[in-house]
Amino acid sequence: MVAPLPELGRFAEPAILILVSLSDGPKHGYAIMADVEQGTARPMGPGTLYAALARLEERGFIEALPPVDRRRPYRLTALGATAVAEQLRELSAFAELGLRRLGQAPR
Amino acid sequence: MIALLLRLYPARWRARYGDEFEVLLAERPLGPFDVVDVLLGAIDAHLHLRGLGSWSERRKGFLMSLRIGGFAAAIGGALILIGWVWAGVDPADSDPGFWIFSVGLVGLLIGLIGLSAVQARAHPTLVWVALLVSAIGGAMMVLGLIAMALVPEAWLVGDWSGWNFFIVGMLITVVGSLLFALATLRTRALPRSGSAFLAIASAISLLAFVGALGLGDSLQPILTAGFLAFPVGWIVLGLQAIRIDRPAMATGAV
Repeated sequence: MVAPLPELGRFAEPAILILVSLSDGPKHGYAIMADVEQGTARPMGPGTLYAALARLEERGFIEALPPVDRRRPYRLTALGATAVAEQLRELSAFAELGLRRLGQAPR
Repeated sequence: MIALLLRLYPARWRARYGDEFEVLLAERPLGPFDVVDVLLGAIDAHLHLRGLGSWSERRKGFLMSLRIGGFAAAIGGALILIGWVWAGVDPADSDPGFWIFSVGLVGLLIGLIGLSAVQARAHPTLVWVALLVSAIGGAMMVLGLIAMALVPEAWLVGDWSGWNFFIVGMLITVVGSLLFALATLRTRALPRSGSAFLAIASAISLLAFVGALGLGDSLQPILTAGFLAFPVGWIVLGLQAIRIDRPAMATGAV
């Protein structure tokens, strides 16, 4: 049973954004922040990023790779991939339900 | 500043993340949003390492975001507007209008910090100056309010009374808002309508005040309109930020 992301409280939202960012390959902190901000048009502060990264690493959702020029990349683990896929499916199912009720087809 | 911010984190945390975090902080200019976010992150790290991480996780407002900045700006602007109107209707020095105004001012400063993330990356000096100017103006206003409540007839410094401090502080705060609105307009970090509204209202307030010094009471209605429009500009900007930063509710983060 994968621990659900909502357990992370206020860090759940940054956590899912980080996991999605790492879905296409390892990234270091700055690259994650830039990717999240580009994808959502919302700022993510460095304190929030590392608070969420530490929790994701503790839960085994991501793992640190050896640093390159003092920048340490992080990689999604199999557990993390399962958790984020589960979360995104729930979001997708909820969005489809809402759109169906509105009489609109999902894009 | 980076070394100082790092020292706020627990030694154990620094041993694991300190090096990469230092590199991250040096990658781009640090604005007020980032600095406050790091301060909150340091508090969280201390709590987390003491086994109080879940307590910290439940503090949902304890996270820097456009949403928090938007709420603070909208509520702060509304309180300033209410306080201003209240004080205008009942201009007794000790009425609650001025105190409501002061609380609104604190909200406005939090709003400025929360809404400044993107602008600070392109124009860090402008954003820091806007915050500093607003904070100085706010402090002068609060000092003026306290003086008006405690020693209404006395001069504080030279021939400056509490009222002088309050009104000059108000103008300085408006200058801070104008600088912030210009930084926002230049980066298009938020919809242009809100930042343009705030910039125009702030500029009208300042021009009308300067004009009123030379032309007397004839510009009073424009000055009043500008001072009333200025908090409305913050409300609009705050609401626009809240609309942009809608929570992803299914993650349970809200």
